[in-house]
Amino acid sequence: MSFFGFNPSSHNQTAPGFSQAHDPFAGLRREDDGEELEFEETYDGLGDQLDETDDVFNDETFGGGGSAAPSSGAVGKDFDFFGKTAQVATAIEEEHVRFNRQQPPSKVAQPAPAPQAPYGYDYQQFSQPIRTGYEKYKETPIDDLQVDASLWGVAPKKHQSTASTANASASAAPTQPAAPPTRKILSLEEVEAQMRAQSKKTPQPISQVQAPAPAPVPAAVPQVQQPHYQHQQQASFDNSFQYHHQVQQQYMPTPADSARPTEPTQGHVQRHSHGHPMTILQRPQSKHAPSPGAPSPLYRQEQAQPPQVPQPVQAAQPVQAAQPVQPTQILQNPNRLSGDGARFNAGPRGPRGPPQGPRGPLPMAMNQGAGNFPAKPDLSQAAHLSEEEKAAFLDQEAKRAKRNHKIFLMSRDNGIMTPQDKNFITRIQLQQLVSATGNPNELGTDESLAEDFYYQVHSQIQGGHRQHPSQPLNNFAQTYLFQTGSRQGGMRRGHRGADNHVQRMEQQVQRAVEAAKNKPKNKQLVIEGSLGKISFSNAKTPKPLLNIKRTESSGEANRPATANRIQTSVDGLSHKSALRSIEIVYDTLMKMEDNERYRPPHPANDQDTEAIQKVIAWEAEARKLNDKLWKALKVMEPVDVYPVHPFITLLSYSKAMKAIPRIFRNTTQEQRTTILTLVVVSLDTLDVVRGAQVNTNDTQLNAAIREKIDLFSHSVMSTLFNFMNELDLDLVSGILGIVCTRNVDAIAKSKIGASMLTMILSRAEIIKHGGGGNQQTWQIWDATYNQFFNLLEPSLPNIFPGTVNSGEDVYVWQLLAAIGIGASPDQQQRLVLAVKDRVMDTVGLAKTLPPDMSAQRLANVNLFMRSIGLDVELLQ
Amino acid sequence: MADNGDDGANVSEPLDLVRLLIDEFVFVKLRGDRELKGRLHAYDSHCNLVLGEVEETIYVVEDEDDETDELKTVNRKSEMLFVRGDSVVLISPYSGA
Repeated sequence: MSFFGFNPSSHNQTAPGFSQAHDPFAGLRREDDGEELEFEETYDGLGDQLDETDDVFNDETFGGGGSAAPSSGAVGKDFDFFGKTAQVATAIEEEHVRFNRQQPPSKVAQPAPAPQAPYGYDYQQFSQPIRTGYEKYKETPIDDLQVDASLWGVAPKKHQSTASTANASASAAPTQPAAPPTRKILSLEEVEAQMRAQSKKTPQPISQVQAPAPAPVPAAVPQVQQPHYQHQQQASFDNSFQYHHQVQQQYMPTPADSARPTEPTQGHVQRHSHGHPMTILQRPQSKHAPSPGAPSPLYRQEQAQPPQVPQPVQAAQPVQAAQPVQPTQILQNPNRLSGDGARFNAGPRGPRGPPQGPRGPLPMAMNQGAGNFPAKPDLSQAAHLSEEEKAAFLDQEAKRAKRNHKIFLMSRDNGIMTPQDKNFITRIQLQQLVSATGNPNELGTDESLAEDFYYQVHSQIQGGHRQHPSQPLNNFAQTYLFQTGSRQGGMRRGHRGADNHVQRMEQQVQRAVEAAKNKPKNKQLVIEGSLGKISFSNAKTPKPLLNIKRTESSGEANRPATANRIQTSVDGLSHKSALRSIEIVYDTLMKMEDNERYRPPHPANDQDTEAIQKVIAWEAEARKLNDKLWKALKVMEPVDVYPVHPFITLLSYSKAMKAIPRIFRNTTQEQRTTILTLVVVSLDTLDVVRGAQVNTNDTQLNAAIREKIDLFSHSVMSTLFNFMNELDLDLVSGILGIVCTRNVDAIAKSKIGASMLTMILSRAEIIKHGGGGNQQTWQIWDATYNQFFNLLEPSLPNIFPGTVNSGEDVYVWQLLAAIGIGASPDQQQRLVLAVKDRVMDTVGLAKTLPPDMSAQRLANVNLFMRSIGLDVELLQ
Repeated sequence: MADNGDDGANVSEPLDLVRLLIDEFVFVKLRGDRELKGRLHAYDSHCNLVLGEVEETIYVVEDEDDETDELKTVNRKSEMLFVRGDSVVLISPYSGA
C-alpha cells in the first residue's frame, strides 16, 4: 500500500493529527454496530453523523494504521501501477461498453460505482486529516474528475471494488446479481452517461427516484462494501486516480483481505457495511461532498446502495443501474460538511432543492443528503418500477420528500459547529448548571450547613464555592467523557437524537449531580483492617489521626448520661456542667439562628394549607429549639435552693455573658422578662457583684474580675438595659421591689449592681417623663421607691469605689442622680447629707487638678447635683 | 463554636472536652519543653489551637557552668498565638493565678 515510496507501516501513527483523532472514536464505533439498523429507521441527527464519519475513517485516511501495514507489505514499493493498469485496460474498456449496452443488468454495474465512492471518500479523508486538507480536495481531484471525462472513462476507481470482489470475473459477471461487485466498476463518466441516458428516456418525477433504492440485492451488498473499503485503503495510499485501474485487479484482492482484520476502523466499518452498506457509503460520501462539481462519486455510491437495500422487489430489476442519482444525496451529506467541507458543499449544492429521501432503510443517507442533492437522479430508477411499486414508491417518496424538505430546512446550519464545539458548549452549560445550584457536594444539605455553618456563610458571601475544586471537575470530566461517548454512539443512530438533545442534557446533568453526590462517600479511601480503619489521606482530606465512627445511635446513647450529669447538684452548677450547658446554649443558639433562615413566608391566605403547614412545622421546630435553649440556660431552676442559682453561675462565665444578646434575640418576651427578673433576684450573688465590692481604700480589683465586669456591663447590662427600656412601669416597680428583698447594700457597692439600680430608676423616670403609667402604678412605684431609698440610704456613703482620687466613681454619681431625680424633697435632703462628704472632697480635689480633669470630676458630681436642683457652682 | 452536634455537652470524643474549654483559660504543654497559658479561642481536630493572652514558658537547660546544669525559664507573652497541633502534648483547664 505504499505510495511513492511512502511506507505506511513505518508511519508513526501516534504522531499528532494521525492516530489521535482516530482513537477517541474507536470505542464508540464498536458500540454502534448493533445500532446500525436503527439508522434506517430514522433520519435525524445528521450533523452528528458527519463528525463521526470523519473520525471513523481517519485510519483509512492516514494509512490505516497497523492494519494497513501488512497489506502494504504485499504491495511493495516497486508496484508497477501503469503496467498493471494497462493489462486490465482493455478488459475495463470492454466492460464499460458492455455495461452501457446492458443497462438492465445495471445491478451489476451498481456495485461498481460504489467503489468509486469509497475512492472519493478516501481522497477526502486523505485530505481531511489535515484540517486544512479540504483545500487540496477542492483544488484538483474532484474538479478533474468531473470535468475530464477521459480520466473517468478509464474506469478509474472501480478498480478496487471490482478487483477485490470480482477480481476474476470483473468483466464477465455484469448480469449476475450475486457477483455485482466483481462485475463492473463504472467510472464516473459511465455512471453519468447512464444516468443521463436514463433520465432522458424516463423523465420521472423526483419522488420516483427513490424507488430503486429498495431494489438492491441483499446478498450482493456485503461483498460490495468490503471491496470498497479495501479500495479505500488503497486509494488513500495511492492518492492518484490514475492508478486505480491497476490497483483494482492486482491490489484489491490481497490488501483488502489483509487490511480488514488488521485495521480496527475498517473492520468496524465493514461490519456496518454488511449490516447496512449504506452507512458506510454515506460516510465517504459526506467527505466527498465538498466537491460540488463531481456528482459522479455520489452516483457510484448510490448505485452501490441499491444492492444493499433488502427489498426483494428490485433485486431482479435492471433498473438499479440507472439509480445512480439517489445515493448521491447520501454522499453529499451536509453533516460532513462541518468545517471546510461544509462550506464547500454548501455553496454549490446547498441551493438545490430538498434532497429526495433515500430509501426508507437508509435514514442517515437521507438526512445527510437532504438539501444538497438534486432530485433528478431518481427518475431513471422510477422508470423501471412496476406500476404498483411506482404508486407505493411515489407515496413513500412524497412523504420522504416532505420530511426531507423539513430536515433540509432544519439542517441548513448543520455542521456549523464541530463536535468539539458542541462538547465544549455542553460542558460550559453543565458547569453553569452545577454552579448555579452550587457545589453538589454542599448543596442544600442542612447537614453541611450544620457541619460548617460559618464556612457556608462565608463562602456564600464570597460568592465562590468549590470546596474541592478537583472533585467537581473530575465529575465534570467524567460526565463529559461519558457524554462524548454516548453522543458518538448515539449519533450513528442519531436520527432520533435530535429531540433527544434536551433529554440527554438532562440525563447528563443528573449524572453529574449523582456522580458528585457519590464522590464524597469515597472521599476517603477507607479499608477495614483488623486494627480498625486505615485511611489514606490526600491533600484535600488530611488523614485524621483518629477515625472514630460517630454513629447516631452512640450519640443518642450518650445523651441521657450527659443530661443526667448536667442535672444541677445541690451545690449548684459544677464547673464542668456549667461549661457543658454553655456549649449547649451556643449549639442551640446556632441552630435557632440557622432555623431562622428557613422561616417560611407567612401564608398568603387561609387557603394555602401547604404554606400553613410549613409555618406550623417551622414553628414547632423553633419551639423545640427554644425549649432546649431554655432548659440549658437553667433559668427555671428553683430560686434560693442553691447557694448560687445555676443561671447566675453560668453568667459568671464570660462566654455565657457574650451569649446573652443572642439569647435575648431568640427568646420570647416572657422569657426575657424571666431572665431579667432572675438576674435582679440574684443580683447580690452575681460574681461581678459579690466579687467586686467596693472598698474605701485604693485596692484594685484584680484584672480578671475587672475584665469580667467590663464584659458583663458590655454584653449583659446593655442587653438588659435595652430590654428594660421596653418595660412598663408596673414591671419596673416589680423589679425594684425584688431588689429591695435582696442585699441592697451589696448590690449598691458594686459597679454592676449600682448600674442595675441606675437602670431601673432611670427607666421609671423616663416613663414618668413620657407620661406612662397610671396613678395606681405610680403609687406602687412610689411605695417601692421609698422602701428602696430607706434600704439604700445607710449604704450611700460607702458605695463610692476607692478614694476620691481614684476617679472611678462616675457610675455612682449616675446612680445618685437617678435616685435624686425621683426622690422627694425630703429624700433629696437625706441624699445630700449622705454623700455630702464625697461631694465636698471631689470638689476640693477638682481644684487641685488640671482644668480638664477638674472639669470632668465636677461634671460627674454635677450629674447628681443637678438631679436635685443644685450645682457644684454653688459649692465653690 | 461552629461545630455541630446535637448537644454541646455531648462527649463522644476527647476533643469534645476541649470544646468545653473554649473561651476559657487553658494550660497547654508543648513539645520542646514549652508551656502555654492562655485563653482558648479555637481548636481543630489536629489540636491546632488559637490562644489569646498567652504566656509562654520555655524551659532551658544551660550547662555553661561545668557540671551544674542550670534550669532556666524564659517567659514570653503574646496577644494571640497559633499553635500547630503536632506539637501539642497536653491541654488542660487552667485555673490559677
